[in-house]
Amino acid sequence: MTSLRFKVLSRRFILCLLWIFAAAVQAQSESTTVDVIQQSSKQWQQTLKAAQGQSVYFYAWGGSKAVNDYLRWATREIARQYRIRLIHVKVTDPSEPVSRLKAENGRTSAIDLIWVNGENFAYLKQQGFLMGNLWATIPNSSNLAVDKLPITVDFGEPMEGFEVPWGIGQFNLIAEKALYPAQQLSAASLLDVAKNHPQTVTYPRPPEFHGTTFLKQLLIDLSHGDPRLYQLASEQAKSELLPALWQYLDKLHPHLWQQGLAFPSSSAEQFLLYQQKNLSMAVSFNPNQWLKEKSTQQISESSERRYFTHGAITNSHNLAIPKHAPNSEAAKVVINFMLSEKAQREKFSGVWGDPSVITTLFDEKATMPAHPELHSSWHVVIEDIWQQKYGG
Amino acid sequence: MATKVRRLGLVCGWSLVAGISMLPILGIVVGLWPQEPLTFAGFESFLGYQGLTTSIVMTLLTAILSSLISLYIAFVVYSQYHLSQRLQSFEKYLAPLLSMPHLAIAIGLVFLFSDGSIFFVDSGLPRKGLATLTLTIVIKEVPFFLLIFSALGRQLPIKNWLLQGKALGYQAYRCWWFLVFPPLLKQSRLALLAATAYTLSVVDVSLLVGPNIPELFAVSVYRWQTSFADGDQVLGFWSNVLLLLLLVVSVSLLYAHEKLAFAGCKSLATQGRRFLVGRISPIFKAWIPLSGVLTALMILVFVLWSLGYDWHSSRPSFSQLSTVLWRDEWLFFALPLQNSLLIAGLAGLLGVALALLALELQRQRGQYWPDYYWLLAIILPQLSMVLGWQILHIWLQGGYHSGWIVLSHLPFTFAYGYLVLKGPFQNVDERYELLAASFGYSLWQSWWLVRFRLLLPAIFTGLAIAFSVSVAQYIPTIMIGAGRVTTITTEAVVIGTGSQQNLIALYVLLQSILPFMAFFIAALLARRFRGSVGG
Repeated sequence: MTSLRFKVLSRRFILCLLWIFAAAVQAQSESTTVDVIQQSSKQWQQTLKAAQGQSVYFYAWGGSKAVNDYLRWATREIARQYRIRLIHVKVTDPSEPVSRLKAENGRTSAIDLIWVNGENFAYLKQQGFLMGNLWATIPNSSNLAVDKLPITVDFGEPMEGFEVPWGIGQFNLIAEKALYPAQQLSAASLLDVAKNHPQTVTYPRPPEFHGTTFLKQLLIDLSHGDPRLYQLASEQAKSELLPALWQYLDKLHPHLWQQGLAFPSSSAEQFLLYQQKNLSMAVSFNPNQWLKEKSTQQISESSERRYFTHGAITNSHNLAIPKHAPNSEAAKVVINFMLSEKAQREKFSGVWGDPSVITTLFDEKATMPAHPELHSSWHVVIEDIWQQKYGG
Repeated sequence: MATKVRRLGLVCGWSLVAGISMLPILGIVVGLWPQEPLTFAGFESFLGYQGLTTSIVMTLLTAILSSLISLYIAFVVYSQYHLSQRLQSFEKYLAPLLSMPHLAIAIGLVFLFSDGSIFFVDSGLPRKGLATLTLTIVIKEVPFFLLIFSALGRQLPIKNWLLQGKALGYQAYRCWWFLVFPPLLKQSRLALLAATAYTLSVVDVSLLVGPNIPELFAVSVYRWQTSFADGDQVLGFWSNVLLLLLLVVSVSLLYAHEKLAFAGCKSLATQGRRFLVGRISPIFKAWIPLSGVLTALMILVFVLWSLGYDWHSSRPSFSQLSTVLWRDEWLFFALPLQNSLLIAGLAGLLGVALALLALELQRQRGQYWPDYYWLLAIILPQLSMVLGWQILHIWLQGGYHSGWIVLSHLPFTFAYGYLVLKGPFQNVDERYELLAASFGYSLWQSWWLVRFRLLLPAIFTGLAIAFSVSVAQYIPTIMIGAGRVTTITTEAVVIGTGSQQNLIALYVLLQSILPFMAFFIAALLARRFRGSVGG
């Protein structure tokens, strides 16, 4: 028992060291390779001048009133400060602009700015649809807290200046305090809740992103944070680490909402079910959503934020400019504004509550203990096997 | 000279109609053109997807069954109402239900009747399942079929048929089933095709109330097509090919059903056996009042939600209601609402005009093209088709103004206009026109003064449907307009992907307002202008 615990602890320790080391290396490589231009530089002044009077068509998910309201605020500020018209093109799915860029295939784009991360970013970068060198040509990117946050790599794909971090996502549960008394949540304690309060626990159906992340968090817990999860998934690692997850799900599923025979299609749907008191928990990537929803009486006073024992899987959501954007100067000015202290503070303390990505506003309390993303190969493996075992 | 002008007019007319009706084919060919070389491995991984067979069978069954059930219910309801004087213009009672988007009905239904519903009783209606999905579709499609029947009924001599049947000693229900049903079924084939194609490829409703272990096929298609992870685009291609195949299968199933139904009616009529449907049909008189109550409940729920009422707080009270959200959002929904009105007005009008043109040109030729050809815009998978248009539109580099959006809505409004008008158009009694000709009216005069006038009620219905179809378009508006033109639907659909109940409710209501007005006005006008047999 003790030896096991020691093993676990030492693994965690090694992992933490690895993590810190990796972050440090990344930070160093960024700060050494990227030479960010100054606000006062001639080049930036030219950009500002060229940007005046331009319109920026910003393709961003429009399903959240909080985000929409924040962008309405930003639109007013940007118009006032830079005489640029920011237009939020509300999309239902981040893949819509990706599909458009693919259809445009290098012609002048209708898009000036996109909100992107993960596989969509990887695809756009590989296809050469994005404008590079953003970090170097946008003055405020020197504010980015690269040494404190995992914001230089996007799901295993190095950003390399093709996108700029805008905010932080951390996987957490919004849950009823009475049922989830502890701040941290383990796979075992979740199973207990599900057994004692059947039909109140569920997760969005993978490959929905939140659902897959939920499974990743369970896998981290069940494998005690095995370091192989952060490398390319080898056959051996798969056969050693994954069975624990499937055995766990076999036990969990009969106690889930709808006995695990149906799942919410999205985190938004699960949140609505939670709101309607059908569930005891919902999932979120915004570490402050619970506070914001409570303050607007969207959820009960007894709702609390919970995260998994090894820390919350943390990633960034980012801004990018298409290579053939007609108003790229103005888009750069918009990004520069979004990284300013004023915009980042409003984003965090205003209606949205999305944590800041810049050093001056970095706040330990605003975020939960961070856990790195698994290697992207695990993402695919988990989704495929889940579909084989439970999805058909 | 006159013949020259006439010939020129014919050529122009045919090229217009051909242009609009070819757009769907053009779109699907360009949109589905494989960008990467096709490999057998890709096809294999598609076939190996767990749960594919179940998903396809489920999807096909739901699509066929839900539209047939709707058709039969609508027919029985129609037979109960047709001759009742008081309820002769029941269309206006259908307006609220017709104007609510499918998704709104799904949201309302599960909120009112699923577990944890506000009635605190378990009706047994699952949150997600084929039963809920089918029920949602049926509730929404029955009024649609009723509207189609009513447009047809104004041109068919149903009254005479019933009289003849009665004279031969048949009970009323037998006359309906043996004399009225076969021609009505044949004339509403297009509507049946449209309803089936809709259910086969609907994504938003399936995501909310459809089963998802395994998920319905349209959901998988959508997911693969919009995913840029490794290999998913290939799956997207094959799933679209299969979706096309499923559409062909369902078209043939519907044709087979028509044949079977005719045979069934014939054998029942000749054997003279009693059948149960006839005796229980009076029950269906309750359908319209019941769905009226249901719609009223749903609207009430949405209104209360939009005012911030919380059923689930520990002490719900009406004192917490406030109009803050309405006042806040007013600034932001006024312009989209206006855009919707203008685009749908124009697209609806042009679509119906083109549909009339297509019908008239075919009539003059004395030959009608197959129905499914004119309905391709409704039948083909929308996402791939519009992707093709998007590629062409980008290639043309013509900017992103609302003219393009009207053009991208036109194939849909045209198809729905055609669907509504074909039956009434073919059934206009030609003797009236003969009479007009004998009075010395020219072809054009008699068309305008006789045929057009007789068709007016059906044209109003067609306009209302085409208008509301245009209002409801999301994919063409966003993909062709590139976000430059926002409509109430682009806003509502996006809000629907979020989790804020009051806002979702607000936009559902806003989205229903324009179609509601269209249907209501059309119902009132249709009552003023009777068709050729008047009632």
